[in-house]
Amino acid sequence: MSLRPSLTRVVGCTMLTASLVGFSPVSADDWGTIKGKFKFGGTAPAVAELKADKDIEVCGKQKLLSEELTIGPDGGVANVVVFVRDKDVKIHPDLAAAKKDAVILDNKDCRFTPHVAFVQTGQPFTIRNSDTVGHNSNVSTIKNPPFNGLIPAGGDSTVTFTSEEAIPAQVACNIHPWMKGWVVVRPNPYAAVSAADGTFEIKNVPAGEVELQMWHEKAGYVGEISVKGKAEKTAKGRKKIKVAAGDTDLGEMVLDANLFKK
Amino acid sequence: MKLTPTVPTGCNGIGNQPPRATGFQSAWSLVLLTIFFATGCGATPPAWFRPNMVKATKEKLSAQREQQVATIMLAMFGTPDDPVALPETGLDEAKLRLAAGPVRSNIVGRKNGLYREHCAHCHGITGDALGPTAAFLNPYPRDYRPGVFKFKSTERADKPTHSDLVRLLKNGAPGTSMPSFALLSETQIEALVEYVKYLSIRGETEFNLMGAFFELEGEEDELPLGRDFLVGEMLTPVTEKWAAAAGARIPVPEMPADLDLVASVAKGRALFYGDKANCVKCHGPTALGDGQANDFDDWNKPIVEWKKEIAGEKDSKFLARAHRVLDGDALKPRTIQPRNLRLGIYRGGRRPLDLYYRIHAGVNGAPMPAAKGTIPPEDIWDIVNYVRSLPYELDGELGADRPMVARDRF
Repeated sequence: MSLRPSLTRVVGCTMLTASLVGFSPVSADDWGTIKGKFKFGGTAPAVAELKADKDIEVCGKQKLLSEELTIGPDGGVANVVVFVRDKDVKIHPDLAAAKKDAVILDNKDCRFTPHVAFVQTGQPFTIRNSDTVGHNSNVSTIKNPPFNGLIPAGGDSTVTFTSEEAIPAQVACNIHPWMKGWVVVRPNPYAAVSAADGTFEIKNVPAGEVELQMWHEKAGYVGEISVKGKAEKTAKGRKKIKVAAGDTDLGEMVLDANLFKK
Repeated sequence: MKLTPTVPTGCNGIGNQPPRATGFQSAWSLVLLTIFFATGCGATPPAWFRPNMVKATKEKLSAQREQQVATIMLAMFGTPDDPVALPETGLDEAKLRLAAGPVRSNIVGRKNGLYREHCAHCHGITGDALGPTAAFLNPYPRDYRPGVFKFKSTERADKPTHSDLVRLLKNGAPGTSMPSFALLSETQIEALVEYVKYLSIRGETEFNLMGAFFELEGEEDELPLGRDFLVGEMLTPVTEKWAAAAGARIPVPEMPADLDLVASVAKGRALFYGDKANCVKCHGPTALGDGQANDFDDWNKPIVEWKKEIAGEKDSKFLARAHRVLDGDALKPRTIQPRNLRLGIYRGGRRPLDLYYRIHAGVNGAPMPAAKGTIPPEDIWDIVNYVRSLPYELDGELGADRPMVARDRF
């Protein structure tokens, strides 16, 4: 059985061209800020306490809580990742310069700070250890070569990613297995991680239509949001929005408790 | 259960079996039985590659999408009996043909089907480590599909070089079920190494393709399934890494010739227990590998995490499917044991150089981190010397912790 003709068939019968998202020409001043807030729909589940069973003299000093799902006092959901999906998006001149500064992920008190870090491709990503015990950081990137290096007490290590990652990559410490963090690798500066109160802000996005993608470590791609009581399906966490000059407020987006029950 | 379309009508009909991609495993096992009983005319049943059901189910690909992936994979890589090496893979199809197919010989002194003769019972026809003996082995055999290999002379994230794989085949992996194949001829070993690369490239390409299908928005959306996309974006990123491995050998400075071994071992010992190299955290204060015992490697971890993920799943139909896949297409996850360093058994080779590579680059796919950048090369040599002394350490300073007989604790 010859197989080559079937490849020709696969190749030949589907000549689809990738549709490119086009931007309407905008003047240099048309930049907008995307704002919003994620709220938890339901009663916040109890936060599990993590058990430090290694290096107890350092890691056991403070209470370690699971950061898988962090909900603020008023129901804000922290650590939801929001990013602009569009390729070749125009970058604001102010933001281009900021790419030179390293993003720091600290191993502090035997947890990763921040829990979810955002770094651009080509931007230095420094993993630091402020603890008095040694750590290692195992970064499970898929497109970029995975990294797992020793980060001795007081030391640091810098990596630069060359490709974007479709979903955030997990960062783990194998010495202290309760330590889990994430790194978002995007090809542009347009991404944000929601703060402790659930709010986020992406500044200086070119005006026009952009497609956002939302992700949370427990929920995966956020499949449904509801704004003002109206449920909206967001397949694979994607949502197209129009960015106007000035502020574009997406309002309070409620994420149902069921999304996190995976 | 409707089996009509897949029941073979005779020996000629068997070759037209489509690869399984429906997710209905119970139906499939019936088909297998049917093939078994229908092949009364002496023909070997055709072999097919098992789709990566864990990935497909995890990404909730529809049966139609699974079928699409299987068709593309068939076109790009052929079947286990009839492998195809696209020029972009850089693979030698003649070598693949020697390793592929059922065990047979039609020329005196030349045997085909080497992979199935020597490897498939553990590593599986697909190289997915789901061969019939796999579940009984500890450690499990290597699943080639993620393209991750542990024992090599290249940096952690790099592919092994060709000679790394040749060495592994010749030496086997001591302490595991992987035997030495030193009795095979050079040509046969070359053919098998080429075939392992082929299965690995195939597995990674399938993984990429399933990921690309997952990223599509709706069921009606299509990928640009032209050569540019399939070869350029799905296959080439994988083959480029294999091509780059040849020149990616870790540069190793020679161990100083006038090295004072006793001093070096003492220095290595301090590093082993020190906070910088931190070997003690996993390999344990006794170096018996009893430090960190509840971690998983990169082959088991996705299964563990997926099990956790589906624990709260509401869709009972999906849940049933997921459990079928976990039972039939994945091995029961096992924690990874840090190596017991007192046995004097080194899976990736016992040369000082092998240990240097392991410490410098860490072990890809395993929790072992890279010392590169943190520990200077001369210190790595000290750790190598200390590790090599561990099976023979008679008068350690471990006091009561020191094992009397290392093997008792294994």
